[in-house]
Amino acid sequence: MSMMHASGVNDAPLTTFVPPTASLMRWVIVATLPGIATMSYFFGLGVLSNILIAAVLGVALEAAVLRLRKRPIRVTLNDASALLTAILLGVSLPPASPWWLIGVGMIAAIVVGKQLYGGLGHNPFNPAMIGYALLLVSFPTYMTLWAPPQELLPEGLWAQITGTLPTAQLDGLSGATPLDAFKHKGEAVLASEFWATNPLPDGTLNAWRWVALAWLAGGILLLVKRIISWHIPVAMLGSVLLLATLFYLSDPSHFASPLFHLLTGATLFGAFFIATDPVSAATSRRGKLLYGAGIGALIIIIRTFGGYPDAVAFAVLLMNLCVPLLDLYSVPRPTGHLKSSRGEQP
Amino acid sequence: MSNAFDFPGGIHPPERKQRSNQATLIDAPLPGRVTLPLQQHSGQPATPCVAPGDTVKVGSVIAQREGMISSHLHASISGTVREVSTTQIIIDSDGQDEWNRLPSIDWQRAAPNALFERLNESGIVGLGGAGFPTHIKARVVERHTIHTLVINAAECEPYITADDLTLRHYASDVLEGAQIIAKLCGAQHIVIGIEDNKPEAIEALRQAIQKSQPITVELKVISTRYPSGGERQLIKRLLDLNVPSGGLPADVGVLCHNPGTLLAILHAVRDGQPLVSRVVTLTGEAISQPGNRWVRLGTSIKELLEQVGLDHTALHQVIQGGPMMGAPLLTLDTPVTKLTNCLIAATIVELPPAPVESPCIRCGECESVCPVSLLPQQLHWYARANDDAKMERYHLFDCIECGACSYVCPSHIPLVVDYREAKSRIRLQRIETAKAEYAKHRFEFRQARLAREEAEKQARKEARKSQQRRTPTSAVASSEKVDLRGLRIAHAAAKASVKKAEKTLARVAQEDPKQPLDDLEMQLATAQENLKAAESQLAQAKEQQAASAPSQSEESS
Repeated sequence: MSMMHASGVNDAPLTTFVPPTASLMRWVIVATLPGIATMSYFFGLGVLSNILIAAVLGVALEAAVLRLRKRPIRVTLNDASALLTAILLGVSLPPASPWWLIGVGMIAAIVVGKQLYGGLGHNPFNPAMIGYALLLVSFPTYMTLWAPPQELLPEGLWAQITGTLPTAQLDGLSGATPLDAFKHKGEAVLASEFWATNPLPDGTLNAWRWVALAWLAGGILLLVKRIISWHIPVAMLGSVLLLATLFYLSDPSHFASPLFHLLTGATLFGAFFIATDPVSAATSRRGKLLYGAGIGALIIIIRTFGGYPDAVAFAVLLMNLCVPLLDLYSVPRPTGHLKSSRGEQP
Repeated sequence: MSNAFDFPGGIHPPERKQRSNQATLIDAPLPGRVTLPLQQHSGQPATPCVAPGDTVKVGSVIAQREGMISSHLHASISGTVREVSTTQIIIDSDGQDEWNRLPSIDWQRAAPNALFERLNESGIVGLGGAGFPTHIKARVVERHTIHTLVINAAECEPYITADDLTLRHYASDVLEGAQIIAKLCGAQHIVIGIEDNKPEAIEALRQAIQKSQPITVELKVISTRYPSGGERQLIKRLLDLNVPSGGLPADVGVLCHNPGTLLAILHAVRDGQPLVSRVVTLTGEAISQPGNRWVRLGTSIKELLEQVGLDHTALHQVIQGGPMMGAPLLTLDTPVTKLTNCLIAATIVELPPAPVESPCIRCGECESVCPVSLLPQQLHWYARANDDAKMERYHLFDCIECGACSYVCPSHIPLVVDYREAKSRIRLQRIETAKAEYAKHRFEFRQARLAREEAEKQARKEARKSQQRRTPTSAVASSEKVDLRGLRIAHAAAKASVKKAEKTLARVAQEDPKQPLDDLEMQLATAQENLKAAESQLAQAKEQQAASAPSQSEESS
């Protein structure tokens, strides 16, 4: 019967009404702009120089590996995915990080985390978070020292180029993030006492809140433009809020408030820009909900009981590990089937 | 307008129906020559029964159905047979357009068997695109209880307006065709499902419904969304019934027919007119007079498009069927068949070639539009890895090939092409593994044929003998006991196995129209041979008994 079918020719002619992958990536980049602008406003030009260095290195590394792999360079670079990874890693690092730190991070992200696995679409882990996690584990001093807000240090930028730490940042406490400070307040200190000591430089908490809201704005843009689906951000933020609330209600004097968890650190940034990376996330809608909820739960658990003040990178990477399992157990029930074949192995 | 029931997913591609739904439905000019492929239906190709030089009229049978799942083929113009090959028959017109019609049947009084036979001899197949022989589908009542007949007028593909125009012009005739089918399958309800982008057709149906009888017809207008016209999707939307995977609508008591098919059924029954023409949508930017035409089967597509102002320089490709599920034609030197519902002569701006494919980023858009809730991106992954077992595990054969996933893919991956290839690869593999089984079936068929021939020879011999016997003396007659009862049982068993083989065949053919049916046809033929053998043995035994009975009674008296 199908003798009339002209096989071998493009079989689905009506295909060009959907924004292509490259434009999806560009929209995500556009959506990072409010976050980047707000961060630069509060933390200085070091944020932009981070991104600039990361972008140059990222594109160069991707081109170099593509050349070694004998893959088309121009077409692939055009999908803007390397640029996006560079931006995401750039904003995650402390402003005005040494260039070699960014370089090590980008090599881990682009070369190891992405291209060695086969390039776009084949990486099991979020490349930016691979880079970030490697740096966090290997160079904890450099990674946990954030310049206090409103210090636009020309000498900091100079230190970035020479690859040394600016002297101002060596003063540990002044560079702490709110999550970091709260983490190290000590077991005996009650939350109310901790806040009463005014532990952070002026405006730090406020700056982090504004940055978080800017990421939220970018995330809403992505949702409105239907670049990302709601499943992962909603599940992740929902589980963060739920667990944080449970802890907080059980002992408000000891645990941080849900709002604190939501508006400091990388929670909102992670929910909209990191966890939603489709390549390393679960694929079915059910799987995405589980994946997001898992990240949220891990964030709270690591922040509360783990050794690191923030946990988005580790939470995302750990859930990346679970994706094959989630995909296997979240197969939807096709129309006409009485039950789904969830988790069945051939 | 809205409906409580729904299927998951779906998309809203640009409709582009205005181009072809403005003009009224008219006849295309009579072609000077027609080329009629022997296979315009699912199942086996028909076998030619004419020779070059024969004169035929419109409606003369030129090829007969072969096996069970097959269909007769009729001359679509009057004239002379020019060529008969293994794949097609070519007829030259005499320009007379003389008809050879069958007698009209009053369907309300006629016996079901007369109607079944009429569908069979009229060569009607499903005109919505699947081409399944209607006479087989109509006999569904022998195997299932049907409560509802659904008229599938959704016509959800962009561009196509053939059903729309058919309904505007022939609403009451389509409903009468539906009443015939409802009578044959015993349905108590008739439901029409139509998308809300066809207001004229809906209005025509509203008028026609009031006069349609004996069964009242319900009109359900649904919101426009592709692929509402999928049989399973429409049944879900109209009746909230889930056709089981691998099953048929008949399994949930529903029969689905396309308006064009129902009209053809009425023409066959009321007017005695076999299927020799159909409504074809001619559209696309590369023709100047778009619209719908009644086209004789076998008309050259090139001539047809040229008659409506085809601009060869602007033409990029001609697509047969809709832009979602249809296929581009490699050549225009090909005829309109029973399956041609739409021809789109598209310019390059209108339907440009797909952009270069980029890697899957697992965004999941395909999953959210899949009307069957499959995971297209996982299937894609396994298709590229040639992992057929995994593909079947992920329900490859539940895919209806609607193309919604390919349509939304931001990486422009031709997903459905991959799935089709995987399906045919798996089908071939199944045949390969069943080869020994097939050989056995062929051997059985041969044995059965020989046995039948032997039985018939025996019967003829006996008949001659008994004739010679009858005249002289009756004394020698049957001392041998005739085991009439045993033969009757054997005959009944053979009949049952024919029925069973028919049932399996009809089912498989409808479940997967692309599955090769040779083996099942072979098994059916075997059963039929066995039945014939049993019949002739039984007849012979009866004759013997009849011959011996009077002589015995004479002796005793």
